[in-house]
Amino acid sequence: MITVNKRDQIPWEEGMTVARLLERMNYTYPHLIVAINGAVVPHDAYAEWPVQDGDDVRVIHMIAGG
Amino acid sequence: MKAVTRNVLAEFDYTVPTIERGYTNQTLYVNVGNGEIKAKPVTEEMKLKFTGGKGFDLWLLWHAVKDTTRWHDPENEIVISTGPCGGITQYPGSGKSLVTTISPTTDIVTDCNTGGHFGPYLKFAGWDAIELQGIAERDVVVVVDAIRGKVTIEEMPEAPKDTHLLGAWLTEVLAEKPEDRYYIATVTSGQAAEHSLLGVLNFSLFDRKRNDLRYKQAARGGPGTVFRHKRILALVVRSRPFDGKTNNPADLARLARVGADMQREVAKWDPVQNRMRNRGTPYLVGIMSDYDLLPVHNHKFGGHPKAHAINGAYWESRFTQDLPDGCWYGCTVACAHAVDGFELKTGPYKGQKVIVDGPEYETAAGVGTNCGIFDGDAILEINFYCDTYGIDTISYGATVAFLMECYEAGILDKEKTEGLELRFGNAEASLELLHRIAAGTPFGKIAGMGVHKLKAYLIEHYGADAQFVHDIGMENKGMEYSMYIAKESLAQQGGYALTNKGPQHDEAWLIFMDQVNNQIPTFEDKAEALHYFPLFRTWFGLCGFCKLPWNDVVDPKNALSDEPHKIPHHVQNYVDIFSAVTGREITKEDIIHMSERVYNFQRVFNIRLGKGLREHDMPPYRALGPVTEEEYLSRQERYDKQLREWLGLDPSTMTLQEKMAAHRKYRYERYEMLMDAVYERRGWTRNGVPTLEKLQELGIDYPEVVEVVKKHL
Amino acid sequence: MKVLTYNPELCTGARECEKVCAQTWFKVPDREHSSIRIFEQEGKFRAEFCIQCGECIKVCPTNALYYDKQGIVRVKKDLCVGCMSCVGFCPYGVMYYEPQQTLAFKCISCGQCVKACPSGALKIIEVETVSTDLWQGKVGF
Repeated sequence: MITVNKRDQIPWEEGMTVARLLERMNYTYPHLIVAINGAVVPHDAYAEWPVQDGDDVRVIHMIAGG
Repeated sequence: MKAVTRNVLAEFDYTVPTIERGYTNQTLYVNVGNGEIKAKPVTEEMKLKFTGGKGFDLWLLWHAVKDTTRWHDPENEIVISTGPCGGITQYPGSGKSLVTTISPTTDIVTDCNTGGHFGPYLKFAGWDAIELQGIAERDVVVVVDAIRGKVTIEEMPEAPKDTHLLGAWLTEVLAEKPEDRYYIATVTSGQAAEHSLLGVLNFSLFDRKRNDLRYKQAARGGPGTVFRHKRILALVVRSRPFDGKTNNPADLARLARVGADMQREVAKWDPVQNRMRNRGTPYLVGIMSDYDLLPVHNHKFGGHPKAHAINGAYWESRFTQDLPDGCWYGCTVACAHAVDGFELKTGPYKGQKVIVDGPEYETAAGVGTNCGIFDGDAILEINFYCDTYGIDTISYGATVAFLMECYEAGILDKEKTEGLELRFGNAEASLELLHRIAAGTPFGKIAGMGVHKLKAYLIEHYGADAQFVHDIGMENKGMEYSMYIAKESLAQQGGYALTNKGPQHDEAWLIFMDQVNNQIPTFEDKAEALHYFPLFRTWFGLCGFCKLPWNDVVDPKNALSDEPHKIPHHVQNYVDIFSAVTGREITKEDIIHMSERVYNFQRVFNIRLGKGLREHDMPPYRALGPVTEEEYLSRQERYDKQLREWLGLDPSTMTLQEKMAAHRKYRYERYEMLMDAVYERRGWTRNGVPTLEKLQELGIDYPEVVEVVKKHL
Repeated sequence: MKVLTYNPELCTGARECEKVCAQTWFKVPDREHSSIRIFEQEGKFRAEFCIQCGECIKVCPTNALYYDKQGIVRVKKDLCVGCMSCVGFCPYGVMYYEPQQTLAFKCISCGQCVKACPSGALKIIEVETVSTDLWQGKVGF
C-alpha cells in the first residue's frame, strides 16, 4: 500500500513508477512536485522513477488560482 | 478627432501634479447630480493605514455614505483607484484598478479588481482615486483630460450604449492624433446593466498590435448597475505618454533588478507550466474536470466527459498567438487573450466580426460547463454579449444555471419564461435570455435580478419549495458563487463564505492545498490558511498588483524553500518592489499588517450596512454537500465511505434519505467549527465581529468604527 | 542582416569595445552601459552581443522594437516604456537595460567597437541567417 499526501491509500502495483501513480490518481496538472519519503523526484524522471510498496508519496500541485 | 455634440454641464480646471513615489497625493470627487467637482488631499494617515487601491476606495466610500445608504441612493459612490505600485512597467501585473460601491445584490460593499488602463492613466492624469457620487438627470460622460487640465461632466447624446461601440466612439471623439488613442482609457457598461442587478464595468486597454480596443471587467457585485443608475454612460481619462519612471519610484535600480529576474523567470517557465502566454486562464477547464472540481449543472457535479472539448489546448487553438496580451504594459504572464474576427450569430450585432475578450476560466465554466454548455462558439458569443451589454459572466452563468435547474425541477415552465426552454445545455435559450435582459423584457428583468432575489421571487410567485431553492441557490450574502466545487474542501467552503464581499475566490483559493495536497489537515491549519491567504491576497489590491504572476509561473527551485505554498521568492519580490517604489521599507510581515487593517475595516463596514455577522457567513447546502439524490448517487462510493470513516455509521443499514441527512448534519456542524476557529484566529468574536482589541491593535479604532462594533460586543 | 561578428582567438581582453560602446551611447565608459560584454575564463575570452535574431520584436507591447532597412533590430526610444519584456525574453540574454532612463538597449551594429579593437577581433558583416556562431569566430573570419 502506498500513502499519497498522508491520506489516500493506493494499492501498490508491480513495476509502479511515478508516472503510473500520477495516472492512477488522475493527477493531470502539469506543475507538480513529487517527493518520495522526503526526497524530491526530478520532473524528467517521472516515467522511470520507481515507487516501492509502503512509500510515503507527496504530490504537491503548485497551483494557487486567481 | 470626431466632431460630435458635446454639452458641457460642469467643468473643473487643474494642474497635473508630479507623482511622488507612486502617489499624486490627491483624489478627485465628481458629483454627476449637482455638478460639483473638486480635489481632496491624500493624507499621510491614509497612506499609512490604507495604502491605496481598495484601501483608499473603502476609506472614501465610508465617509460618503450613511448607515442606511442603499445602492440606488444618490450618496452611494463608485470609487476607483490603482494603488502606489499601479502603473509601473518593470514587473508583470502592475496596472490593476480597484472598484468599490454598495452592491445592488448584496446591499453591502462590493470590491472588484480589474485590468485595463484606466487606473494607471487616472494616476498619470493626476489622481490617486476618483469618487463618482450623485444621480444625473440624463446620461452623462465624465472626462478627465490631463492634456487640457480639465475634468468635465458632459452630455454626448449621439454616443452608443454598448461597450464595443461606445469605447471606440469615445476614443475617436477624444483622440486628436492616432497615437493619442494609446493613452485614452474608458470605463463603460451597456444596456443589460439598465435592466439587471448584475451589471459590469468594462475597462478598456488599447492594444497596439491589434490596433484596436480590448476590455477587462470590474465584475462582481453589480458596479455596472450602479453606474447606469447614476446615468453615467462612460468615464474616460485622456492621459499622456509615460514610462517606468512616471511614478517617480524611490529606487529605479532595485526595481529593475527584481523586474528583470521575474521577466526571465516567466520566459523560462511559463511555456512548460501553465502556458498562460498561449492559453490564459482557461487552461484550468480540463484540469478542474479531472479533479472533480469543475462546476457542472449548477454546481451539482465536478466533471463531465465533454469538458476536454473546451480545455486549454482547445482555447490555445482559438486564441490568436504570439501577441503581447498583457492587460497592462510589462505583463509577460500576458493572459488577456482574444479570439479575433469572431462572427456573431445572434442578436442586434449579428453578422459583425468582433474581438472576443476571453473566455477566462470563470466565463468558460460559468456560462459554459455550469449550464451544461460545452460548445466553444456558444461560450464565445455569450461572453461577447455579456461584455458589451455590461453583465457579469460569473453571476450570469450562475443565475442561468439556477434557472435551468428550477426549470428541470418543474418550478418554471415555458409560460413563465417567455417561451424559453431553460434546460441544461440549451445554449440558444441562454443567449436569447441575455438579449432579453438587454432589451428589458418582463422575464429578462426577473432573471436579471440574480440568484438571491430570484429565490424569493420563485417562492412567492410560483410556490417553489423554499428549502429546495435555498439549498440549490448558489449565493452567499447576495452574491453568486464563482466557479469551483467546494463540496470536498472545508477550507474552500470557508474561503468562499467567510469573505467580506461574497463568494468570490479572490480572497482564498485553497481547494488544491486542502483537498488534493492535504497540506492543511486540521481545523487550526485551515484557520491559519483562512487568516493568512485572504490577507496576503488582499494586499495586491492595495498596491495595484495582479496576483497571477505571484502564483501562476513559479521557478521549480521554489519547492526547496520553506513554505513553498507561499512562494517566498515572489513574496520577497513584492517587498522589494513596494519599498523601491514608495521609499517605505517594508517586510513580508508588514504586508499582512497593511492588509489586516483594510480587511477588518471592510468587515466593520459590512456590519455598519447590516450584514458582516456570523449568520451572513452561512453557505447554501449545495456549497457544502449533496442536495439531491442524483448528486449523492453520482459519488456514492465516496459518500458512503465518509459515513463509515467520519461518523462510524454503517451505510448498508441506512436509507438514501438517512445517509443524506447524516451528511448534511455533519457538514454543517463541521462548517460551524471552522467558523469558530477562523473567527478566533482573525481576532473576532464568535459572532464574527472584530473586537476592540483587534481594532486598537490595527490602529483603526476611529470613533465611527468603534461605534459600529460596540453595538455587537 | 548587418551584424557584428567576433573571433575569440584574436581577442586579448583589452575591453576597448566595452568602453567605446558605453561612451558612445551613454557618455560613460562603464561596462554596464555597453552592448557588447567580454567575459574571461582561465585566460581565454568570449563575447556576447545582439545577433539581430528578432525574437524580441513580438514580445514588445508598444511596438518599440523593429527591423530597420539594414536588418538591424532597433529600439524606438520614445516608445519604449521600460517594461523589460524583451530583456527577459531575449533567448541569448543580450538585451540590456538602463534603469534610470527605463530604457532597453542593445547592439545596433554601429561599428565603433570594430574601430576601437586593438587586435582586429571584431568585424561588421552582412549575413542572411544568424546564430551564436557569430560569437565563436566561425563567421567572417
